[in-house]
Amino acid sequence: MTDLSSRYSQPSEVILTASNLTQRVDLGRDTLTILQGVTLEIKRGESVAIVGRSGSGKTTLLGLLAGLDTPTEGEVVLEGRAISRLSEDDRAAMRARRVGFVFQSFQLLPALTALENVMLPLELADFDDPAARARELLERVGLGDRLTHTPRQLSGGEQQRVAIARAFACEPVILFADEPTGNLDNQTGQEIQDLLMALNREQGTTLVMVSHDETLAARCQRRLTIEAGHLDTGQEVSA
Amino acid sequence: MSVRKSIGSVARDWRQRDVKVVLSALVIAVATVAIIALFASQLQRTLITSASSFLAGDRQLEAEHGEPIPAEWRQEARSRGLGTARMVEFSTMLSGGNRFQLVSIKAVSDAYPLRGQVEVQKTADGERQQLESGPGPGEVWVNPRLMRLLELEVGDSVEVGNLTLTVSGLLLREPDGGFNMSALAPRVMMHADDVPATGVIQEGSRVEYVNLFAGDESALEGYYQWLQPRLGPSHEWESIRDGATLSDSLERAERFLLLGGSIAVLLASVAVAVASRQYAVGQRDTVALLKTLGLPGRHIGRMYLGRLLVWGIVGTLGGLLVALPVYAFLNNLMARVLEQDVPFTVDVPALAPALATAVVSLFAFAYPPIRRLRHVPAMRVLRSQPGESDGRAWVDIAIAVVAIFGLVWLYAREVMLVLSLIGGLVALLGILALLGWVMVMSLRRVKGGGNAWRLALVGLYRHRRSTLAQIAVFAMTLMLASTLILVRSSLLADWQAQLPEQTPNHFLINIAPDAVDEVESFWGERGQELDTLYPMVRGRLTEINGEPVRQVVSKDDSVNALNRELNLTWMDEMPEDNRVVEGAWRNDQQTDGVSVEAELASELGVEVGDVLGFTVGSETIAEPITSIRTVQWESMKPNFYMAFPPGGALEGLPATWITSFYLPPSQKSALNDFTRQFPTVSLLEVDHIIERIQQIVRQVTQAIEAILALILAASLVVMAAVVSATLQDRQREGALLRTLGGRQSLLVRSTMLEFGLAGLFAGILGVMAAETAVWALQYRMFGGDFRWHWQVALPIPLISAVVLAILGRWQLRPVLQVSPMLLLRRLE
Repeated sequence: MTDLSSRYSQPSEVILTASNLTQRVDLGRDTLTILQGVTLEIKRGESVAIVGRSGSGKTTLLGLLAGLDTPTEGEVVLEGRAISRLSEDDRAAMRARRVGFVFQSFQLLPALTALENVMLPLELADFDDPAARARELLERVGLGDRLTHTPRQLSGGEQQRVAIARAFACEPVILFADEPTGNLDNQTGQEIQDLLMALNREQGTTLVMVSHDETLAARCQRRLTIEAGHLDTGQEVSA
Repeated sequence: MSVRKSIGSVARDWRQRDVKVVLSALVIAVATVAIIALFASQLQRTLITSASSFLAGDRQLEAEHGEPIPAEWRQEARSRGLGTARMVEFSTMLSGGNRFQLVSIKAVSDAYPLRGQVEVQKTADGERQQLESGPGPGEVWVNPRLMRLLELEVGDSVEVGNLTLTVSGLLLREPDGGFNMSALAPRVMMHADDVPATGVIQEGSRVEYVNLFAGDESALEGYYQWLQPRLGPSHEWESIRDGATLSDSLERAERFLLLGGSIAVLLASVAVAVASRQYAVGQRDTVALLKTLGLPGRHIGRMYLGRLLVWGIVGTLGGLLVALPVYAFLNNLMARVLEQDVPFTVDVPALAPALATAVVSLFAFAYPPIRRLRHVPAMRVLRSQPGESDGRAWVDIAIAVVAIFGLVWLYAREVMLVLSLIGGLVALLGILALLGWVMVMSLRRVKGGGNAWRLALVGLYRHRRSTLAQIAVFAMTLMLASTLILVRSSLLADWQAQLPEQTPNHFLINIAPDAVDEVESFWGERGQELDTLYPMVRGRLTEINGEPVRQVVSKDDSVNALNRELNLTWMDEMPEDNRVVEGAWRNDQQTDGVSVEAELASELGVEVGDVLGFTVGSETIAEPITSIRTVQWESMKPNFYMAFPPGGALEGLPATWITSFYLPPSQKSALNDFTRQFPTVSLLEVDHIIERIQQIVRQVTQAIEAILALILAASLVVMAAVVSATLQDRQREGALLRTLGGRQSLLVRSTMLEFGLAGLFAGILGVMAAETAVWALQYRMFGGDFRWHWQVALPIPLISAVVLAILGRWQLRPVLQVSPMLLLRRLE
């Protein structure tokens, strides 16, 4: 496992750098520019909220930072490796060990039980005894008695708890969350926020989150505003 | 609900994925069933036409020892649009080159032959020609053996009675040179108009008049209705189906086509069922929304009914549009394979099952779940957990299965066929339930991991619900396809077994009792062994239980055996291929009793214990039936309706002997020596008939292979439809696995393994179920012995595994091409 002490040894170490990220989509006759020259740095252990209106390019930026997609131009460096230049399989291997995800629509596999959903990344990363670790995490998110339930038998909040357990399963160094409370009511959203922040603290994970939920953004150490594909540097605030 | 609204909603619907799947499945289903139905009915017509050349027409009317057939009868046939031809057959002496020879003359009119071709050689070493006519007036064509016997050459003159005719060709083959015991002497063909001038035919001459008819099946049937009351006792109406030689093979081929069609109906309905059920389940949210918006349940029901109706129409038309060009193409192909004209005919009644299949399976599968939704209160619908209403899915499926088997029954009208297929399916579901249990028990303990095998096995366990459902459908598809493969294999093996290499191709008839030894040694010296020699006594069946046979058997049941003399025999051992179905074969001491052929016995309505009376010349004999046995008429060996024990009533009556043997083509010339040495023994050459039957069997075989190929293609389509039913879930899963860090190669390998394993299971199940169905089908539908065909049954699971692995790989394609980010968004 990762040596936790190393994570805290250099608190100001930069873990993720994006330089001049540009993403264009070819629409046949036109090209649509979704992101234009985005440059940023994220330090280890930091929590960062990316805010902006719908369609401003937040989620695209998140996907590029997480290595789920490759930019048209520019470069993403995670822990010193230029992931935007890695092959798809190398990026996958990197994601398996270093990166966790939480999605707005949970993205649980409907055929699998809660336990099996959490076990999935552990199995892919070849952890020993994935079931034990998954059970532990589900207990941590308060679903110890729902292990054998499938997503259909769980409420939205419960599904997102499973997704959070899954995201932290492999002890990622960085966690990407895309509108984690977007599909939930206020009360449940609040609970999910608490859980996410608590786990983040406990595990010393770097958190990068897209949200237009002001209260959630406010709980992050830093917020980046994105507008029409440009990072609004003037509005970058550190908490 | 107006039609316009329905159509509007179809256009809107088309954008939905589920609807595309349903409509595609419908189009494919209709197209497959239509193609097979059209092709099978065409094939049937073509085969019968092809086989009709055995009669040189579609029907034959014979008048044995009778008056010429009235010209008005032919006139009537022509007025009904039928083609007619006339033949006169008789035996007479022919002289040529100062020698005489008894010949069997066939005099034919201009139109002969109506079906098939005459093969002649116009000069001694000229080319073989296929002609659709007989010799012209003043000419004769003679059998090559006769040419050698009389040392004739083309261009020589021969005399038949008072008429001198010119030999203008060697008669190599006549289409209707069938198995005719009276055609004992070498054949000579002449023109029918020359017959009166020969002066050979006089009062009391033994002459056979034959009329041939050809044309539309319905016109022939109508003509027969007209003709039947006019027929006398000496008349015999024959169709190719009455001829023993081929009818069994043709009947089995027809049944095979029927089975193929039924299986197509089943496959098609599976495809539609899978797709439309999926659609129905997907419509739950829409129905829920409509209910919350205040639309009454019955409106929703009517709306969906209208929609299904429109789809039925659209799908049916689309299917027909696909089917017709494919059918035209197949037609073309068939014409080339069979080397004969195959007219493009669309048999509209044959299409009915195609349309019924589509609509019935659509309604049977899509409507019940939707209809049930309208009974659920709006609030419950909104909150309903999917799966909650699945409790009654089995009822829906049961209703649909009944509907579909009803369709097959309507189509095939064969209770046994339907029961066998249902039996196979029940067996399948039984094994499937067991397999499900085994899977749950044994795979539960498998640990997942970054290894493709473990991921695949875990996948099988975790997806067990959908996997078992898929395996069920695959197994059913494979069962249907393998049933057809198995039936085809045994059918072909059966045909091959009937006419193996060295099937006897020559008969020696009319061997005098004191010549038997000499004949045997003649062929023994030439290395040819004769089959069993049987004595033959010609006699008529005249009484049943002491009453005249004409009173006992009503005239309506035209029993051919009563119209002519039967060949009676006595034998010690029953021929190997005969089988006693009632009573017992004689024991060694028994000298009374008679064994009767099974079909004749049932036509006569007689059983073991009934007493049959025969007239042989001036003698009469009466014997009780001791056994009833089946006879292989296709075996090309002497076969007998009536077999007496040796030393019984028949011995002492004037008898001649008959036998058959195989003569290789290279030894044909020995026949000349034989006929010179034994002028009284009649020789019947059936080598060309056997060749012709083998040719027809080859044609039927090719046709059967074509149907099989179609069915296999349809099976693939069904399997693809089933895989596409879970496409979205699978793709979402693939995308997520990639997001969570699964390598592409791992994803590909584990998916292919998982699908491959499911395919293997399905294949094994399908083959087992098919064997069950075939076992049930064997005697009732196809007769003959069914063997297990491991060489066919073994590869099927493997092929199924490979095909499914490839399908699994195929459905993964978009997951691998697009970034996981894009995919997750697209699937949201």
